[in-house]
Amino acid sequence: MVTLATFSWSWLLGAAVLGFGMGWIAVVHRGRGVSKTAAIWLGAAGALLLALALARLVPGRFGYWLDLGLMMLAVYLAGCAVGSWLRHLVVSRHSPVT
Amino acid sequence: MREFLRSSSKWWPGTIPLAILWGLACWNTTAPIEADLAARANAALKDTVLDKTQLMVAGRDVTFRAEAFSEQGRSAAVATIEAVPGVRLVNDETKLVAEAVPYVWSVERDVVRVTLGGNTPLPAIKAKLLDAARNSLGGVEIADRMSLSRGAPNRFDAAALLLVDQISRLKDGKITLTDTKVTLSGMARELGGSEAIAAALKNLPEGFSVASNDIKSPPYVFQAVKDPVALTLTLTGYVPDNAVHAALAAAAGRQFVGDNIVDNLKASVGAPQGFSNAVVMALGALSRLSTGSLVVTDRSIRLSGHALFEQAVGQIRTGLSKELPQGWQSQVEVAVKPAAASVDPTVCQQLFSDLLGKGKIRFESGKANIDPDSVGLLDRLTETAMRCPSSVIEVAGHTDGDGEAASNQALSERRAQAVVDYMVKAGLPAERFRPVGYGSTQPVAANDNEDGKAQNRRIEFTVR
Repeated sequence: MVTLATFSWSWLLGAAVLGFGMGWIAVVHRGRGVSKTAAIWLGAAGALLLALALARLVPGRFGYWLDLGLMMLAVYLAGCAVGSWLRHLVVSRHSPVT
Repeated sequence: MREFLRSSSKWWPGTIPLAILWGLACWNTTAPIEADLAARANAALKDTVLDKTQLMVAGRDVTFRAEAFSEQGRSAAVATIEAVPGVRLVNDETKLVAEAVPYVWSVERDVVRVTLGGNTPLPAIKAKLLDAARNSLGGVEIADRMSLSRGAPNRFDAAALLLVDQISRLKDGKITLTDTKVTLSGMARELGGSEAIAAALKNLPEGFSVASNDIKSPPYVFQAVKDPVALTLTLTGYVPDNAVHAALAAAAGRQFVGDNIVDNLKASVGAPQGFSNAVVMALGALSRLSTGSLVVTDRSIRLSGHALFEQAVGQIRTGLSKELPQGWQSQVEVAVKPAAASVDPTVCQQLFSDLLGKGKIRFESGKANIDPDSVGLLDRLTETAMRCPSSVIEVAGHTDGDGEAASNQALSERRAQAVVDYMVKAGLPAERFRPVGYGSTQPVAANDNEDGKAQNRRIEFTVR
C-alpha cells in the first residue's frame, strides 16, 4: 500500500484536491443530495469493493485498478471531509445561526 | 454535525471527475508500475540459482515460473518474490528440475567439434565443464547439449571435469558417465594416449568406476627401407624406449653389412608385446633382400622386395612365420631379383674379398652355429658364388689363439662346414666348395688383445 501511495502520489494528490474542492462547494451547494437509500446502497457497494480488494480476489491489472480506484476514492472522500469541515467553520463564523 | 452530514450527501458530483482522473491514472501508471516491479523482482532473484526463470507482471501480480534445484531453493525463491515491496500476489508456477534416472552425462569428439551432452546438476557446474573443455581443447568448437537435472551422484563435478580433460587426448570418441560408471570408446590422438587415459582414470573420485574402456591407440608403426643404390637402410616410426632403440640400431648394424643406416626412429609407449624380438627378426629377413621394405604395424609384419636367389624366398617366408612371437602375423611379398651376370674367377675373388672386408660371418660363441644376424652377408656371398659357376671355392675357418689348438682346429673346421652347408642349402653344388679349418695357425693380428682376437676369428673365401 505504501509503495502504491509513493508510486502514484501525484494522482492521489489530484484526488485529494478534487475532494477538497468538492467538499468546499458542497456546504453551500443547493442541489439535491443523495437519498438515504442510495447512500446505503453506495456504501454497500463501496464495502463490497473494499472487501474484494482486501481479499485480493480480483486478479492482475483489474486488481491493481481496483486498488488504485479505492485509494483515490478514499483520498477524495477525505479531501471532501476536510473541505466541508473547513467551509463549515468559515460559514458558521460569518453568518450566525438564526 | 448534522450540517456536515447533509453536505456529505452532496459530495457525489465530484466522483465524475474523480472517475476520469482514475481512468487517467490507470492509463498512465499501469505499464510503469509493472516495469518497476519486474525490475525489482529480477534484481531480488539475482543470487538465486534457478533454471528457466520467467517473471510476468500484470498490475501488481507476479506470475513466477522457474525450475528450482531443491524444494528449499524453490520455496526460498517464491518467498523472495513475495517480499518484493509492491507485489500484491505471486502466482507460483515454479517446480523442481526433473530428476534423471539413470543420471547420464557425456562428452563426444568428432572431426569437427566436441559435444557435451546429458545431465548436469547445476548451472555453475555446467559452466565449469564448458570452461574446462575450452581450456583443454584450445580452438576446437564446443557444442553444449547439456540439460539441468536433479539426481547427480556425489562428486559428479570432479568426475566429469576429469573426463572432460581426457577428451583432448582423443582423436574421436565418446566418454559417457552413467550414474557412477564410466564408459569410453574411440581412438586416441597419439600413441600412448589410451595408456595415459587409463592412468588418469585411476584418479576418479571415490565411488566412480570404469565400466568399459575401449579407447584404441593409433597403430604402432615401424618401417625400414633398404635402398641398394644409395646403400642406405632408412628406419622410421616408433620404438618403445632408448634401450630397444640402441639394441635395434646395433642389430641393424650387424645385419646390414656395408649399408649406411639412416635412423629416424622416435621413442613412444604403446608397442605391442614382443616388438623388439619380432623387429630384429624381420630386419634379419629384410637384410637378405637386394632391395625391399619392411612395415611393422602393431603385430603385423609386411615384407616386400627382391631376394637374391630362389631358395631365399622360401627360407624367408617359413623363417618369419615359424619364429615370430605368438600373436604376430607376417605377410611376405618377395620376388627373386634377376640373376647377375657371370664373372671370371678373379672378379669373383675380388667380390668375396670386398664383402668380407665390410663385415664378418658371426657364430655363436664357441660353437659352429651361424649367428642369424649374418644371413644377409651369407646371401650376398652365395649370390657371388653363383656368379662364378665354374670355380671351386675354398672356405677357410680361422679361430683366435684362445684355448687348445686341437679344439680350435675342430671348431674352425665345423664353422667352415657350416658356411658350406648354408650355401649348399641355397642350391649350390657341394662339390664346388672345399671347407678347410686352420684353427689358430694363421693369425692376421696379435692374439694378445680383444681387437686382435676378433680379427683372427674369421671365414675366408678363396677362389681356386
